[in-house]
Amino acid sequence: MEHAEYQELLALEAVDALDGRDAQMMRAHLESCPSCRGELAELRDAAALLAHAAPPAAPGNEVRERIMRDIQSQSQPAPIQAQNVVPFSQALSAAWPNVLRLAAALAFVALLLGIVMLWRRDAASRREIAELARQLNRQQRELQLERDNVAKQTEALALLNSPDARKIALAGTPTAQTARAMFVYDEKSRHGMLMIEGLPPTAPDKAYEVWFIPKGRSPMPGRTFTVDATGRAMISDNLPREAGDSMVVAITLEPKSGSAVPTMPIYLASPAS
Amino acid sequence: MQAEPSQVADDDLLRAISQGDESALAALYDRYRLILFSLILRILHDRQEAEDVLQEAFLQVWRRAADFDQARGRAFTWLVTIARSRALDRLRMLSSRSRLVDPEAEPRADEFSDTGAEIVKSEQGEIVRRALRELPEEQRRPLLLAYFEGLTQAEIAERLGDPLGTVKTRMRSGLSKLRELLRDRSRDLV
Repeated sequence: MEHAEYQELLALEAVDALDGRDAQMMRAHLESCPSCRGELAELRDAAALLAHAAPPAAPGNEVRERIMRDIQSQSQPAPIQAQNVVPFSQALSAAWPNVLRLAAALAFVALLLGIVMLWRRDAASRREIAELARQLNRQQRELQLERDNVAKQTEALALLNSPDARKIALAGTPTAQTARAMFVYDEKSRHGMLMIEGLPPTAPDKAYEVWFIPKGRSPMPGRTFTVDATGRAMISDNLPREAGDSMVVAITLEPKSGSAVPTMPIYLASPAS
Repeated sequence: MQAEPSQVADDDLLRAISQGDESALAALYDRYRLILFSLILRILHDRQEAEDVLQEAFLQVWRRAADFDQARGRAFTWLVTIARSRALDRLRMLSSRSRLVDPEAEPRADEFSDTGAEIVKSEQGEIVRRALRELPEEQRRPLLLAYFEGLTQAEIAERLGDPLGTVKTRMRSGLSKLRELLRDRSRDLV
């Protein structure tokens, strides 16, 4: 993502509404970008004022007493009086004969050696555990992808079988002549799925974006997505309530985080009714 | 503390708290207990839970006051962030434990509308409510869902039945507009 794309997402970060990959990437970017940190601080100041929108209410008087009692019990204990403590080394030197000192020194060296051996064995075990954890994570990710695909296919089937299902076909424009797509949605719930094929792969900093264009209104952005190696994708999204029966669905190529208004040539579009 | 508590700046109170000054914490509590309790209660809708969370929040302020850095934001924002995070954590805990919160439930009516004569409106609250009323409903609703219910962008899209990209755009426009509306008045708000 580019700096400008992060700026677009700062308002969502200010109310902690980013999730998944967006949230992770934002955190990493903020570490290295003082300008975004400054902008975020301002947006957080604005968001904090939303607290005033809550209906005024007062806590019970005992809450203050409970807090003050708690912090008093958490105060630092007074330091121990130094004059009552006999120095450890002084006490030992008077009481221990030389032979005991030697035994103690030998025991100390043996203990050190033991610690070093344990530490080395521990380091090897930790490396093995880390490798196993990586493998497990990879398998879990793959399994999750499989699950997501099955869930999407089940959802698409359910939609297609619904008596309220409506279909909108999208055809490739001269930019992507072999591409085609079908948007199936439930007329009642307005939930739908878009099945796409024949789109070229995107650059790492780009993504395709869905647009819903109700007649006579500005395009409304939908989800962003990328295609797999075969040029296919299946995504779900909600049809905007503003969209009536006459609506165009289109797909453009945009920066990875998506755009508020379409900026690139159209790749796929349904016919205007 | 030498000056009257009401005249001491928030930043100075937090500095005194970080040095173990109990009277500074008491002064900060007296100054912000109403707004923070209102916020927590709005999130949890339960007085007992809200009082517990308010107590936890001020204990956190007591322990973490040294972490506050005025170069990174205002003290009010820092306090509100602690209270809101604690309340949302408690909301999620209660929700997962006993499903007290039904995610499918219709969201409550916005409290900043003029209904509800029993609500005593503060001057600051009125300024924010007026600014919120100037936002289009489609921008205001997702912002309030994120702020008071802790929903993410995807959850808001699901709840409102709107496309994800549209939700993002509306939240961005809404908060930017709110910031503009409140910019000149914000000094009087805290």
